[in-house]
Amino acid sequence: MSTITVLGDEVATTAGEWADGRPLVEPEGLSAAIGWTLKPEGLCRGDQCVLIGDGSAIRVGDKLDLIAVANAVDQPTVVDPDTSIVVLGQPNATRRAALLDRQAPDFTLADLDGVERSLSDYAGKKRLLVAFSSW
Amino acid sequence: MADDGFQVIAVAIDEDIDEVRVLADGITYPVLMDPDHLLTEMYAISNVPAVVWIDEQGRIARPNASEFGTDMFSEFTGRSCEGHFNQIRAWVHDGVVPDDAGSEIADLDDDEIAARLHFRLAAHLRRAGDEDGAARHFDAAAELAPLDFTVVRAAMPLRGESPFGEEFFKLLEEYQAAGSPFHGITPAP
Repeated sequence: MSTITVLGDEVATTAGEWADGRPLVEPEGLSAAIGWTLKPEGLCRGDQCVLIGDGSAIRVGDKLDLIAVANAVDQPTVVDPDTSIVVLGQPNATRRAALLDRQAPDFTLADLDGVERSLSDYAGKKRLLVAFSSW
Repeated sequence: MADDGFQVIAVAIDEDIDEVRVLADGITYPVLMDPDHLLTEMYAISNVPAVVWIDEQGRIARPNASEFGTDMFSEFTGRSCEGHFNQIRAWVHDGVVPDDAGSEIADLDDDEIAARLHFRLAAHLRRAGDEDGAARHFDAAAELAPLDFTVVRAAMPLRGESPFGEEFFKLLEEYQAAGSPFHGITPAP
């Protein structure tokens, strides 16, 4: 068993191993790694659950395949077995809600003083979101 | 316009907070750091500057648009910042949005999404001191989204290249030759 690092909303590490380029983790470590928990009804986060049938699509022996789990909840991944890292992208539904339904995704980022701020902190106001850069 | 229930929120798609501090000098609205390019994934942003108008209820009133805060590039874009500022005033005061506000923005394709994740991984490895690993994933990102400025140009300063040098002009040339593919509105003058 080695350690797998997940770059998601947070940087998380969990016990796991790699098999044929697939990151496999203990079911108990899933929640801490990616925020989803395996329950009898499916993969759940908060009050949301995604059905996974008999679960065979995400199970490899007694472990869970993180890529398959991410696929099941419609979050993209990029993996690097060499450094034992899984990058877990945002739910595709979040971006589609922005583009198709015009729902502005909320986000939380640190300001220049290190204070975390969210788009929703300014709810009730018209907001001009400006993405810029030094490059 | 701050008293009118209007708020500017700036997000720097940048790694280096000191570079951003220079740009943000004197600015009174919040400037947030997004070194992992969360915003470019959530909002399908492919170049900066990109502005999004968001209303009181959190709905997007006008999606990603290429708008500058100064007229430094007006000759190049044909658009003055005053044009944008006037449109914002009309929106804030009278709720009027410009004709282009209904434009649909194309979703990112799978390669463009994967490119963003490779970029995030490269930036992470670079911070950890793994320059080779970083280079490998910056390369993978650029291969998947070769004309995306948030992927290719943003990597330049992180790879020891100048974002205003030879590599940038090569990117710009290829981008223009491909018809300037941008996930957003390119406003009329």
